Amino acid sequence: MRTRLVLTVALLLAAAGCSGDSSPRYDADSARPGLTQAAPGQAQPSGESSRKTAGSCNPRASLRPTGALPQPGRMPDGTWMAQIRKRGRLILGTSQDTLLFSSRNPFTGQVEGFDVDLGRLIAQAVFGDPGKLQIKVIGYDQRINVVLKNEVDLVADTMTANCARLKDVDFSTIYYEAGQKVLVSKNSTAKSIEDLGGKRVCSAAGSTSYDNIGKVRSRPIPVAKANFGDCLVAFQQNEVDAISTDDTILAGMAAQDPYAKVIGERYTQEPYGMAISKEHPEFTRFVNGVLEQARRDGTWAKSYEKWLGRFGPVPQPPAAQYR
Amino acid sequence: MTTVLAQRPPERQRPPEEQKQRPAAASPYSPPSRGLLRRVSGLRHHSPGRLQLILAALLALGLLTGLVGGLTAHAASAGTAGLGDRAQPLLVEAETIYTALADADTTAAQAFLAGGLEPATLTERYNGDLARAGTALTRAARLVPDDSAAGRAVEGLSTGIAKYSALVATARATNRQGLPLGASYLSAASQLSRDTLQPQAEALFRIAAGEIDEGYDAARSSWWLILLLVLVVALGAALFWTQIYLSRTTHRTFNVPLVAATGLFALLVLATGTLFANQRARLESAARQGSAPVESLARMRILVLTERADEALTLAARGSADREADFDRATAAIDFDDARLSSVRRYVEQARTLHQSYLATHDEVRRLDAEGGDYDGAVALAVGDRATTTFNDLTGTLDQAITDRKTAFTGEIGDAGAGLDLLTVLAPLLALAACTLAAIGIRARLEEYR
Repeated sequence: MRTRLVLTVALLLAAAGCSGDSSPRYDADSARPGLTQAAPGQAQPSGESSRKTAGSCNPRASLRPTGALPQPGRMPDGTWMAQIRKRGRLILGTSQDTLLFSSRNPFTGQVEGFDVDLGRLIAQAVFGDPGKLQIKVIGYDQRINVVLKNEVDLVADTMTANCARLKDVDFSTIYYEAGQKVLVSKNSTAKSIEDLGGKRVCSAAGSTSYDNIGKVRSRPIPVAKANFGDCLVAFQQNEVDAISTDDTILAGMAAQDPYAKVIGERYTQEPYGMAISKEHPEFTRFVNGVLEQARRDGTWAKSYEKWLGRFGPVPQPPAAQYR
Repeated sequence: MTTVLAQRPPERQRPPEEQKQRPAAASPYSPPSRGLLRRVSGLRHHSPGRLQLILAALLALGLLTGLVGGLTAHAASAGTAGLGDRAQPLLVEAETIYTALADADTTAAQAFLAGGLEPATLTERYNGDLARAGTALTRAARLVPDDSAAGRAVEGLSTGIAKYSALVATARATNRQGLPLGASYLSAASQLSRDTLQPQAEALFRIAAGEIDEGYDAARSSWWLILLLVLVVALGAALFWTQIYLSRTTHRTFNVPLVAATGLFALLVLATGTLFANQRARLESAARQGSAPVESLARMRILVLTERADEALTLAARGSADREADFDRATAAIDFDDARLSSVRRYVEQARTLHQSYLATHDEVRRLDAEGGDYDGAVALAVGDRATTTFNDLTGTLDQAITDRKTAFTGEIGDAGAGLDLLTVLAPLLALAACTLAAIGIRARLEEYR
């Protein structure tokens, strides 16, 4: 009966998730002036059409950094960086159960991973001290909203940059290329997501992965959980048959469950960017400047090696694209 | 039901009445009821007939009073025992289940916050909580009927607690392997506890509190007492009127057996009055000194635990779920000035001081976490010795107060039931004796007409 409830919720969410973005804005009903809004007539619940409208953009292209980075601790007046400096800490929105990207280390209680490293990098650039970072854990379906409400300075949370989201927030340049795969039990005969028709496949509510499950032709049943940790719990409790999301997140799960395996090829492209408010583009430019430096001086590669090195040699960092 | 029971006695008494009428009435064979009625009503036209009618009325009233007196005493005694043996224990068990679950959840969240391998003291506390919840649940199961709402709550809790401890066990095992998944299991367990188990325990607590009120009503047996009072007044009036009638018609001032019957009747009234006055006073005292403060203290302990759980869960969620509003609601609901707590003022004042000191620590935790952004400092303070000691002292003080009031309740309830069982037997016996005396007294007058 609980499963049925979950399914019902999942279906409702699926129905609601079609308009524009999978995570509806907190002020979805009352349009906020001054921000790019969904065009009129876009409210009809057709995911395809909204994607097409938004498809004209290039989500990988971000704002170009302006000149050299300011010295740490000396942020230009009137910029968002100066605000952060005044506050004394950078607020990073992320999750605490995505192993390798941002998860809580049970031994130390600290949240760590590739995404958190990036946050520390930005804190280092603003303060000269990577520790001046406050981690705020957010639900997957709140990633846009916390940025819109200025509750965090930036979100680095395995977040796919896409055109639908770009209407509400700015993204940094792409810092990681992922793609969706599927995790099943070791004894499963399925070769790819197409073989999972009618099976319950879990993903985090508000993630693009969740939407993608609904688009698979063999029609697996999408099941939404608050975050991916809950998906793995549901998988181990036999509440769902599979989990589908970005390959790197799945690899982190498979590392925790020797009875699980990741199957198939990437069936989507998920370029990760950091979400930043459109209200202060100078911060987006600043972050892109920091990323540019990290790509050049090997910081990116070092962090990649540390967290993701187990999946093969360190690749070239994704090249920055600008509008 | 009351009327049915009340109607039964006169039917039983009719046979002796009819037997007595038969020698007076001529035809012995099954007279049609209308004929019987006419003959009975005919009796009032001559003196022996009138005496026979009076005797029948006195016997009927007397036996009825005795029977109702016995039944009233029995109902009151059973009600008092039910209150002490079932309703109150159920409330205590329900409260134990609720607080044990809330405490287990808080403890698990704190162990999680502490990081690393969970501290042995917290493990111990958690295990103790689950054991307490399990024991209380078994006891509660014996106190509730299977198909009642309370029975269903107990059933749901039994299944849920098994699932809950399985989830926490998995969380621990996973944590032991250093996998972040442990945290997810813990949050699944916590969610089960907060969304399903604790509401069920709260429902059980509410049902038990309601049953206590019903228990007091049953123990007071007010309807039985009213019926008894009406009968007693009627019988007393009948006895006096009979004696006045007899002294007027027979020129004898006193009919000794009837005077003796009146004496026995007065004794019955006195015994009943004293016992019920005592019972009412004790019940009143048990409610005021026992159940009311226990319920108030139990709610307070639950609220205090809610605060602590909210604090730990807010920190554990690291911003993804801020339960501070819930914390404030709990704080606002705690009422140290509750008039029901006058009998445990000393404990309550101590609890108030400790609570204030806990709130001060909590404010500091909030300041560090929300305003200062010093998450690690906030966690260290929240699970640190100062906060833990203050909070444990607070719950310990409330525990002591509850135990103190439970003892008071048990004492008062025991005293309330005193003598009622004796009255159950004594009332019909006294009534029977009074009836016999009345019969002897009136028969002596009847003989004179032969």
